[in-house]
Amino acid sequence: MSTNTLEEPKYNFEVVKWFTITSVIYLVVGTLVGTFIASQLAYPDLNFDNPYLSFGRLRPLHTNAVIFAFGGSVLMATAYYIVQRTCNVRVWSDKLAWFTFAGWNTVIVLAVITLPLGLTSGKEYAELEWPIDILIAVVWLAFMFNFIMTLAIRKSSHIYVANWFFLGMMVMITYLHVGNSMAIPVSLMKSYSAYSGVQDAMVQWWYGHNAVGYFLTAGFLGIMYYFVPKQAEAPIFSYRLSVLHFWALMFGYAWLGAHHLHYTALPDWTGSLGAAVSIAMIIPSWGGAINGMMTLSGAWHKLRDDYILRFLIVSLAFYAMSTFEGPVMSLKTVNALSHYTDWTIGHVHSGALGWVAMVSIGAIYHMVTRLWGVQLYSTALVSLHFWMSTIGAVIYICAMWVSGIMQGLMWRATDDYGNLMYTFVESVDAMHPYYALRALGGLIFFLGGVIMLYNVVMTIRQPAGSGVTATSKA
Amino acid sequence: MISDYFHSDWAAMTATDWWGLFVTIAIFFLMIGLYAWIFKPSSKDKLEQHCDFVLKEDSQNWEKHHGKS
Repeated sequence: MSTNTLEEPKYNFEVVKWFTITSVIYLVVGTLVGTFIASQLAYPDLNFDNPYLSFGRLRPLHTNAVIFAFGGSVLMATAYYIVQRTCNVRVWSDKLAWFTFAGWNTVIVLAVITLPLGLTSGKEYAELEWPIDILIAVVWLAFMFNFIMTLAIRKSSHIYVANWFFLGMMVMITYLHVGNSMAIPVSLMKSYSAYSGVQDAMVQWWYGHNAVGYFLTAGFLGIMYYFVPKQAEAPIFSYRLSVLHFWALMFGYAWLGAHHLHYTALPDWTGSLGAAVSIAMIIPSWGGAINGMMTLSGAWHKLRDDYILRFLIVSLAFYAMSTFEGPVMSLKTVNALSHYTDWTIGHVHSGALGWVAMVSIGAIYHMVTRLWGVQLYSTALVSLHFWMSTIGAVIYICAMWVSGIMQGLMWRATDDYGNLMYTFVESVDAMHPYYALRALGGLIFFLGGVIMLYNVVMTIRQPAGSGVTATSKA
Repeated sequence: MISDYFHSDWAAMTATDWWGLFVTIAIFFLMIGLYAWIFKPSSKDKLEQHCDFVLKEDSQNWEKHHGKS
């Protein structure tokens, strides 16, 4: 592994370092809460009759922690890192960069306080109340403005495709966050959505699915397009494909939200349109996944001993799998079985654990060695982390597939007289083994995160330029 | 009848509907234009020259003749 330090004064890597460290901490915290609430579903006694620890309040804490605390910190770390490296220029404003760090972490602290207290707007993935929504908008705009200004003062003529993905994410998330969060405040911590009825549902899922599409996909594709060729030390397979990937994803994703609302009061054609474009999105998604994987063309042997590269490439396999599964689930006939079941939870986590978390972990390991100018404390622990992440994610996903399909079949099963064959409680009871298995998969993934935190802390405690006796390449 | 399936009550279209229809058609043609531009043989070298962009970023002579400063 290269240990060349990038601590050149022309770059501001201090803010990148802090975002990197906090992202690893938030990975551990977010998956810990996730493992706990998964255990609550399997063993309800773990709710302890305590409202602050109840599933209903901790679930949004988990989703906010993993999406916005972990995912957001990774995106800000990598965006600041990549835009400086690829533009060959220091970030436009150090003060704005530190403001985004302080502001984003303030939002996270406020989420940790308000969500267990039950202070929520009730909008999925946008639970935070209106004063925090305003703070998010201000911090996000500062982040975007600083990014755009850094692009504007770049010393390269070309804007690398990773920056396009980041910029697309920033523009769309601003639009989505502001649009979805429109509300009428009635007190400091209570507001009501500006939308009502089916319009509220449509706006919610226009936001919800596009949070997946632009925050958890576009931004992390920016990470992929930088770190895969960098770690593999090979040119990207096809730059033309990356450009096509970008524009098709940007124009395509905005249409998909309606596929969350099949068989509801939403006009039928809207859901059909969402499903049709969902199917079409397989093309750019797989194009991008293949583009990333084929970057290793002629260099597949690197996967044998480069565990960071394994994280990056396996994340692309999960990306390809979940971007095929999603469109299939959006088809009305499949959706009739899958919707409201655990299959959806499994699908989300194949994207979240397999794609988002693993590509992030690969990027973080890559950056840590370069930011601090040291070798990893232990590549054996990176290998262990890789297998724990992969096995944990697979156990989780498989448990939810079985559970979800079983749920769907039990809910729709009727006898010869048209009566339902199972009560809802019977379906809940049948889920127990799979919920226990899901908690086990989550626990394994969480413990992998703990190992990563230990490895990263031990790595950055080493003097710059030094390295522990190298075990193997990473 | 297939014509029934594609029937539309144009008189009932609101300004928002027309705007949505315009955006949809505009994006459709822009995407066709994008595909044509991407796969045009003369675009190949122009775009693929950047495929090793991140591998050259530490080079002293990186974009020496193209940079802004």
